[in-house]
Amino acid sequence: MAIAILIAALAGATLALFFQPRWWFPDAISAHAKDYDAQLLFTLWVVGSIFVLAQGLLVWVIFRYRDRGQAPSVNCGSTKLELLWTSVTAMVFLALAFAGQGIWAGVHLKNSDPSALRVEVMAKQFAWSYRYSGADGAFGRVDIRQIDDAGGNPFGIDSKDPKGDDDLTAPILRVPAGRPVELLLKSRDVIHNFFVRELRLKQDVVPGMTIPLHFTADKPGAYEVPCSELCGLGHHQMRSALVVMAPDAFEDWLLEARQKVVLP
Amino acid sequence: MRIFSTDHKVIGKQYIGLALFSVLFGMVLSLIMRFHLVHPDTKVKLFGLLWPDGAPGGQMTPELYLSLMTMHGTIMVFFVLTTAPQSGFGNYFLPLQIGAHDMAFPVLNMLSFWTTALSLLTLLAALIVEGGAPLSGWTAYPPLSGLGKITGPGQGLGQDLWILSIALFCVASLMAAINFIVTVIELRAPDMGYFDMPLTCWGWFVTALISLFAFAVLLAGGILLMLDRNAGTSFFIPGGLIVNDQIQTRSGGSPVLFQHLFWFFGHPEVYIAILPGMGLISTILSVFSGKKVFGYKAMAIALLAIGGLGFVVWGHHMFISGMSPYSSIAFSVLTLAVGVPSAVKTFNWLATLWGGRLRFTAAMHFALGFVSLFITGGITGLILGQPGLDIYFHDTYFVVAHFHLIMGVAAIFAIFAGLHYWFPKMYGRFLHEGLGKLHFYLTFVGVYAVFVPLHFAGFVGNPRRFPDFKEYEFLKSVMPLHIGVTHAAYFLAAAQLIFLFNYFWSQRRGAVAPTNPWGATTREWRDD
Amino acid sequence: MTNVARTGQALLIAASSMFFAAFTSAMVVRRGLSGDWITPLLPTWVWATLLLGPLASWLIQRGHVRPAMAAGAALVSSQLALLAGLRLFVIGEAFFGVLIAAHAAHAVAGVAAIGRFGARASLFWHFVGALWIYLVFLFEVWA
Repeated sequence: MAIAILIAALAGATLALFFQPRWWFPDAISAHAKDYDAQLLFTLWVVGSIFVLAQGLLVWVIFRYRDRGQAPSVNCGSTKLELLWTSVTAMVFLALAFAGQGIWAGVHLKNSDPSALRVEVMAKQFAWSYRYSGADGAFGRVDIRQIDDAGGNPFGIDSKDPKGDDDLTAPILRVPAGRPVELLLKSRDVIHNFFVRELRLKQDVVPGMTIPLHFTADKPGAYEVPCSELCGLGHHQMRSALVVMAPDAFEDWLLEARQKVVLP
Repeated sequence: MRIFSTDHKVIGKQYIGLALFSVLFGMVLSLIMRFHLVHPDTKVKLFGLLWPDGAPGGQMTPELYLSLMTMHGTIMVFFVLTTAPQSGFGNYFLPLQIGAHDMAFPVLNMLSFWTTALSLLTLLAALIVEGGAPLSGWTAYPPLSGLGKITGPGQGLGQDLWILSIALFCVASLMAAINFIVTVIELRAPDMGYFDMPLTCWGWFVTALISLFAFAVLLAGGILLMLDRNAGTSFFIPGGLIVNDQIQTRSGGSPVLFQHLFWFFGHPEVYIAILPGMGLISTILSVFSGKKVFGYKAMAIALLAIGGLGFVVWGHHMFISGMSPYSSIAFSVLTLAVGVPSAVKTFNWLATLWGGRLRFTAAMHFALGFVSLFITGGITGLILGQPGLDIYFHDTYFVVAHFHLIMGVAAIFAIFAGLHYWFPKMYGRFLHEGLGKLHFYLTFVGVYAVFVPLHFAGFVGNPRRFPDFKEYEFLKSVMPLHIGVTHAAYFLAAAQLIFLFNYFWSQRRGAVAPTNPWGATTREWRDD
Repeated sequence: MTNVARTGQALLIAASSMFFAAFTSAMVVRRGLSGDWITPLLPTWVWATLLLGPLASWLIQRGHVRPAMAAGAALVSSQLALLAGLRLFVIGEAFFGVLIAAHAAHAVAGVAAIGRFGARASLFWHFVGALWIYLVFLFEVWA
C-alpha cells in the first residue's frame, strides 16, 4: 500500500514539474525554433500519457492485488495480448520517430539559402572567433603557421593572399535579423560544440572538418553561447555570444568594422 | 576462502565485493562533485590535503573536478554495473539455476576476476600519478584524449593508465563472456531446454553474448587510441591542429571514427548493465506475486531482441557529431524500435503482478521501484532518440538525468533487489526486512529528488561536464535547482549507510533463513 | 575434443573475428576519408607465410605437436620481421602493423594452446591460420 502511494506521489510530482514555468526553454527566436517547440510539446504529450498510464497501472496493480489472502490467478501468458501491445507500441514509437524527422531535415538536409550571410566560426581551447569576408565576398586562405591569437589573427589568415586582407575577425557573432546565415564551423584543436539555446541549434565542431549550420534569426537580442562538448579545463568558460541586430544596425556595424580592417 | 579460488560462489562474492567497494568510491566522488558545483569558490582543507596540485590551498581546480568526474563515470559504468549484475550474481547463481556444478571454465573464471581487480587498481593508480587522472570523461574522445598532455592536466600518464585499465577490463570481460555462454550452452541439466531456463539465466546469457561482441570492439578502439597517443600514428588525429600554441604534425585521422568504435561498444554496454537486472526483476515479481512470469517466452525473446537491436543504435549518441545526417535518421528509427521490446517487458511485468497475491518483502519493494524507475528513465529515451529534439538536449543535464535514472538508479535497484532476494542463499540468513524497507523508502524518494529536477536543468540548456556555472547569465536560474539536488544527494548517500550496516550486520546476526524462504521454484533453492 | 572445448573455442573465434572486423572497418573508413593513404608494399615472401598456418593445422591433426608449434613459431617470427619494416607514422603501415601485431599475439596464444592442450586446441589454430590468409589478402589485394 505504502509503496503504491509513494510511487503515485513521486510520479505525480514528476508530472507536476512539467507544468512549472520557471525552468523551461528560453524564447524561440526563429521559425525552426518554433517548429522545434511544437514537436517537443507533441512528444511530451505522447510521452507524458505513456508515463501516466504506465505508472498508474503499476500503482493500481500494487493496490488491487496486495496480499489480502486471495488466491493468485493462474494466467501466465497470452499470445494475443503480446502481439497486440507489441504492435501498438511499435506503431506509436515509429510514428514519433517519423514525426520528428522534419525538424532534423530542415536543419541538415536542406541547403542553405544562396544569399545567406556566411560566417566562419573557429573554436579553440578556450575561445570562439568569427570571420566575415570583406567587401570582396571571399574568404582569404589560411595558414596555420600564421596563427597569432595575441595579434588578432586566430584564423591564421594568410598575409600573402590579398583576398584575406579585408577579412573581418570578431570575438562575438553578429547577424542581421530576418536574413539567412550560414555558419562554417571549424576547430583547431579538440572537439567543441556550438549551441544557441534560443535557436534550438547545437552542433559539434570537429577538428579536420568544416561543418555548415544554417539559421534565420527573427528576434534581435544578445544570446549566450556555451561550448557544449567537453574540451578541457576551460570548457565551462568557453563562452561566446550571438547578437542578432536589426538589419540596418547590422549593416552599419559591418561597414564600420570592415573599414577598420582595411584602414588600420 | 582461498583468494584464488576457482569456486563460482566465491568468485561471485568477490565480484560483488569489488562492486561494493567501487560503488562507494564512485558515490563519494559524486558527492565531492555535487558539493563543488554549488560551492565552487569554497576552499576545503581536505581537498588541499588529498590533491595539493589539483586543489591548491583547498580550492578545487576545474581540471580536478573533471578528472573526478571522469573517474566517477568510469568506475560506475565498468566496475559497478558491468560486474555485480553479471559476474557477481551470474557466477554465483547461473550454475545453480541450470543444475551445473560450476561454470564451464573455473580457472578462467578466477583469472577473469583477478584481471578485473588488476584493471581497477590500474585505474585508481591514475589518481596518484603525475598530472592525475584524465579529464576527458568516461568517453575519452580524441583529440582531447589522443594528443597527450598538451591538451590538459591528467592527459599524459593518467590517460594512458585509463586506457590500459579499460583494455584489461575488456580482456577480463571477454574471458567471462566465453565462460557464461559455454556454461549455458553445454552445462544445462538434461531436463532443462533453453526455454526452461529461468529468465535470470536468459538475462546472463544474452548479456554475455552482447559482451563478447561489444568488448572486442572497445579493445580495438582502445589500442588505436593508445597508439595515437604514444606511437605517432594518426588514426583519430586530423591535420591542421595547433594545441597550446604548438603545431601538430600528424594528419588524416578522424575523431568521429573513434566515436563510432567507442559507441559501437558503448550502447550495447548499457544493455549489459540492465539485462541481468531485468531477468532478476521478472523472477522477483513472479515469486512475490505467487504467479509464474507472464509471457515467459515473449520475455526471453524480448531479451534477445534488445540484445540484437542494441547493436545497431549506437549512432544516437552521435546525432550531432558531424556524421552524415542520413545516418542520424536511420539510427533514430532503430533507436525507437529498440524501445519496443523494453516496453513489452514492462507490460509483461505489470501483467505478472495482475491477479497476483503481492507480498511486499524488501526485495519486492526494490523490484517494484525498478519498474517505476525504468518507466521514468526509459520514457525520456523517446525524446532523446529523435535527432531533431536531441539537437537541443545533447550534452545537457537532460541526458545526465536520463542515463542516471536508467543505469545509476534502476540497475542499482535491481542489484539491491537481488541482494535482498539471494542473501539467504549466500549467507544462510535474512537481511533485516525492516531496515531493508526503510533503506528502500529513503532511497526511492532520494533518487527521484536528485535526478528528476536535472531534466529541467536540461530544459534550461544547462551543459554537462561544467565544473561550475559561474560564467553564464542563463545558468543563474538553475542554481536553486542544483542546490536542491546537492542536498538531496547528501540525503541519498546518507540513506545508503542503512544498507551498508544491514549488509554487514546481517551476515553475522541476521535471522537464520530456511532453505527456501520465499517459496521460489528455481533450482538454487533446492536442498541438494 | 569435448563439446565444452569446441564451443569455447568457437566463441573465442567469434570474439576475435569481431576484434579484427573492428580494425578492418576502421581501416576501410580511414582510407576513404583522407587523401593520405599510401598502400604499403610488403615483401613478396609474405605469400609464403600463408602456408605456415595450414601446415601447422595439418601437423596438429596428425598428432605432431612439436612440429606444429615450430610452424606456428615460424609464422610469428616472420610477422615480427614484417613489423620491423613498418613505419607507424604512415597510416597504411600503421594499420598493417596493428593487424599483424594483433595476429602475432593470437598466433603466440595459439602456439601456447597447442603446446598445452594439443589437438584439443586445434579449432582455434585453424582459425588463426585462416585469419592470416584473410589478412594477407586484405593487404595484398584490397589495399
